[in-house]
Amino acid sequence: MRFALPAIRHDQTSFEALARLHAQTKKCWFDDVEIDMGATTWFEADMCAAFGAILYSLGKNLNTVALTNIPPKVGDILSRNGFLSHYGRVRISDRWRTTISYQRFDVKDDRYFSSYIEDELIHRSEMPEMSPGLLKKFRESIFEIFSNAVWHSRTEMGIFSCGQFFPTRNRIEFTVADLGVGIRQNIRDHIGLDLSPEEAIVWATTGNSTTKRGNVPGGLGLKLLGEFIDLNNGCLQIVSDAGYWHRENKGICTVRLSHPFPGTVINIEINTADTNSYSLTSELNAEDIF
Amino acid sequence: MQKDMKISVFEVVGSPLCVASNDGQKVYERLATAFHAGRRVALSFHNATILTSAFLNAAIGQLYGTFSEEQIRSLLKVEDVEPDDLPLLKRVVDTAKLYFKDPQRFDQAVRETLEDENDDT
Repeated sequence: MRFALPAIRHDQTSFEALARLHAQTKKCWFDDVEIDMGATTWFEADMCAAFGAILYSLGKNLNTVALTNIPPKVGDILSRNGFLSHYGRVRISDRWRTTISYQRFDVKDDRYFSSYIEDELIHRSEMPEMSPGLLKKFRESIFEIFSNAVWHSRTEMGIFSCGQFFPTRNRIEFTVADLGVGIRQNIRDHIGLDLSPEEAIVWATTGNSTTKRGNVPGGLGLKLLGEFIDLNNGCLQIVSDAGYWHRENKGICTVRLSHPFPGTVINIEINTADTNSYSLTSELNAEDIF
Repeated sequence: MQKDMKISVFEVVGSPLCVASNDGQKVYERLATAFHAGRRVALSFHNATILTSAFLNAAIGQLYGTFSEEQIRSLLKVEDVEPDDLPLLKRVVDTAKLYFKDPQRFDQAVRETLEDENDDT
């Protein structure tokens, strides 16, 4: 089996390509799968999370995965963040120190994930300067994304993350992917609502939705993220099943992908030059909470 | 009259990062045990630097599935919460109250929200 991978950016076309890769390889078993990257003229580093998730599922089916014809520039990016170490290459030094390593976590690795975020993102001198309020909101957002994946995916194959920061553009891009049941199935199982894949993402990011499990209400994380992104002038993309959802400049667009992604991907792009204070927005008192 | 007790979130979680649902569950279990024993609890967030909705839903939101609002109001108080974390805590509490008050009506409201969204797009 051979698959020609196009350039991978933060857009619907690239998610389409990754979903197509999954669709064409999902039945492979004990196969040799060659991903020909000769036409991969660009690869957004944080998209390694989504790509890695698909390749991991191929490995789980005991396929041998080979990435071939990798253009040097792309190979350099994917070696610096540790992605290609999973596929036979040696990790090279990140001389610009702008990568956030590619990692796979088990769902019980929340402590390990916390350390990863603190080490890779927070305690690094190369990080674009952010106001304390923004930095706190950013950390919260990352943890909300991870918690959301742990809570909703019900995956046993882990959670994949990767990121990149761009000091001169004042941007951080970070992606978390899982190989779980997806938002649509989760809503169907817990609420009994049968929604289209893109409607399911709208549902999960809107209003008072909660896919309560056991006695614990949930479902605030994605809404908080969306609100933060609006204030921050950042961008948030979610792909789950065949649904594609994009939020930017306070606008939302949804599209049906031609093939489903085998789980959920959340991609966040933060504007690090944001000077919003993110301080207390109400006169709440601790005695008025309950 | 039994003495009020204090539970430190930092002590239960063992970290300033109060982010994981399973850590929230540990806090919930201590609170629930104390409430069943009729003990009033001051829940301290001293040294907790990051809170997520997942953690708070498990730690506090689910209390509303077991205890009445009156019981929670009389038995629980929070201390040392950063002012900019209070809106999140309040939101978690309000969502939990709504959900546990009438889950079917809550789901219906969510369905209506979705229909409105679809009408707008």
